[in-house]
Amino acid sequence: MGDDKRMHRIPDEVKFSDSHKDDFRGDVKEIGFHFAGYDWDADEEQFKVYLHYDQLYYWKLAEISKMGKGFLDGEFWATQCPNCGDKFFPPRVNCWDVECNLAKSEWIKLKGEGIVHTFTIAGWSGKSSLKRLPFVLAYVVVDGCKTAIANELRGIDPWNAEFGMPVKVVWAPKEDRRGTVTDWWFEPDDGWEPSPMNPEKERMKELCAPVYDWVKSMK
Amino acid sequence: MTRRVCIAGGAATPFDYPMHITPEAMIANCVVETQGDIPDFHLRDLQFMVYSHFSVHFGKQLTPEWIVHDHLGLVGLPHVRIENGGNTGGSALYGAFLAVKSGLFDVVGVAGWETMDNVTQSQGSEFIALASDTRYEALAGGIYPIYYAAMAYKFMKEHDLTEEDFALAALKNRNNAANNAKTQWYRGEYKKYGRPLTVDDIMNSRLISYPLKRYDCCLMSRGGAFTLVTSEEWAKKHADGRYVVIDGAGLSSCTIRAGDRLHFPGWTKLYGEGYPDMTEFAACRKSGEDAYDMAGIEYKRAVKEIDVAEIHDAFSSSETQIYKALHWCDKDNIKEFIREKRTFLESDGGGDLPANPGGGLMGYGHPVGATGLMSAIETYYHLTDMTPKKHLSARTYVPDAQTGLVNSHAGTGTSISNFILRRP
Ligand SMILES: [Zn+2]
Repeated sequence: MGDDKRMHRIPDEVKFSDSHKDDFRGDVKEIGFHFAGYDWDADEEQFKVYLHYDQLYYWKLAEISKMGKGFLDGEFWATQCPNCGDKFFPPRVNCWDVECNLAKSEWIKLKGEGIVHTFTIAGWSGKSSLKRLPFVLAYVVVDGCKTAIANELRGIDPWNAEFGMPVKVVWAPKEDRRGTVTDWWFEPDDGWEPSPMNPEKERMKELCAPVYDWVKSMK
Repeated sequence: MTRRVCIAGGAATPFDYPMHITPEAMIANCVVETQGDIPDFHLRDLQFMVYSHFSVHFGKQLTPEWIVHDHLGLVGLPHVRIENGGNTGGSALYGAFLAVKSGLFDVVGVAGWETMDNVTQSQGSEFIALASDTRYEALAGGIYPIYYAAMAYKFMKEHDLTEEDFALAALKNRNNAANNAKTQWYRGEYKKYGRPLTVDDIMNSRLISYPLKRYDCCLMSRGGAFTLVTSEEWAKKHADGRYVVIDGAGLSSCTIRAGDRLHFPGWTKLYGEGYPDMTEFAACRKSGEDAYDMAGIEYKRAVKEIDVAEIHDAFSSSETQIYKALHWCDKDNIKEFIREKRTFLESDGGGDLPANPGGGLMGYGHPVGATGLMSAIETYYHLTDMTPKKHLSARTYVPDAQTGLVNSHAGTGTSISNFILRRP
């Protein structure tokens, strides 16, 4: 079993000689259970407690560590099955085809270019992304992968995005990179020009207008 | 496989945001309401409990089912919790179905709830997005309405549909909910409107993610539900005239990331190259086909054989995509199927397959662990003729329905179940 080539090695001991554990911490503190206040409605006899709970998580990328380090270095690492040739980003460390029976895949460096498979204009999002609204989230097939990867499409008025448009991967400045997919985004390929306005684009633009106003009003 | 499994009772709490009631009290209320309909049913009859609860994040409480279970006085009884994203309710029902079908138990309780009003809406959206692949999707700013919008937009283009086509499902389900006092729509915004919604209301609501606007999306909620799953022998004896048979049950799965569906070998083998892409719900098609097969329903005849359905309309677009996945229409006639209002109630100029007469997720709200059970209960009410009593009037009752379909749906179509219910 230990000799099977498909086995992923588990290191006995990992020593992070290159440690940056608080580089981006800012003001965030771990406070565990913190009871921040309460409400009481005497008429209905309803009591409410305010609990604030924060916790730091450690995501160990382990077998896909090459991808995280690649992001820091501005490199786009994917995997490929040596048996059937399918190319994956996000990387899969075993092939997805049951016929390949968990064949261990190999790392390949992708070209930072792709084609928009589908997209949407977000006018609402999770707490961490509200201030970036409205933005285009595009699913892009990068460099001939068998999969499409979601990320922001920037450098474009949202209503100008198109199915099938060519895009390139753009990296955040080195000091802003975190080893996660937020280190890069898509932008229209050089030389790509938007098509003229049409009723559907006007409609999208109209829907975006209050979102721009709303974001401006956020402190 | 001759042993038949039945739904012999069930009830949902009101769904709302916010709402002040604990999970254990929600389930207690549902059991009491069930006993009102099925006087023979006593807690002593229960042999196994399946709990249906999605996210422990909302309560900051792991294994919250343990609190509900001993609150009900059921110590000693075997219990499990089933969690399967938005399809938690359908999956728990599937678990209970297996438990009775196996012959091991005759009376199984399924209890589900969610308490999404414990956090703000934007925080709640982010919690739910933790069920997407956080490393690649949530981090990129995505939340579920955004993923669904990206899938819906491509579907809309490929089928030559419009925003207005999606809007029909959004207004239908909310207008149905206006006749159901348990729904979040009735309890909240409808009180302000006091009139049925129109296509313009949907079109003018704020952008969530193109082509979806606010009224194309369901709401987060607090709510609970309980379903009694029994052998036919028990049902006949204790719930005569008030039980339905689960004649078909299917559960299927798809990728967690919607972008991984363009060429997945497992689907290529089953349905051919390029399916489901990012537009079709393959797990809905597969679990639907499995349920149809079990119930002896030819796929092409499903639209004729099913009289009423409660389907997972988390988004107006996904309800529309589900029509196709369940073989109610195909690429060629989907536009007519929508525009002829085939899924509206007859009283609303509708057609032959009313979908979500109870209000669906858009009307009821979507307290995840309770949702699929609510859909099963609403369908059960039609097939036992209890709907006129449960709704404000008989307006949303589908009389003489013989066959019902219940659909529960998770992730970006990542886990989906379908059930065929029939009168005994
Ligand atoms: Zn392979």
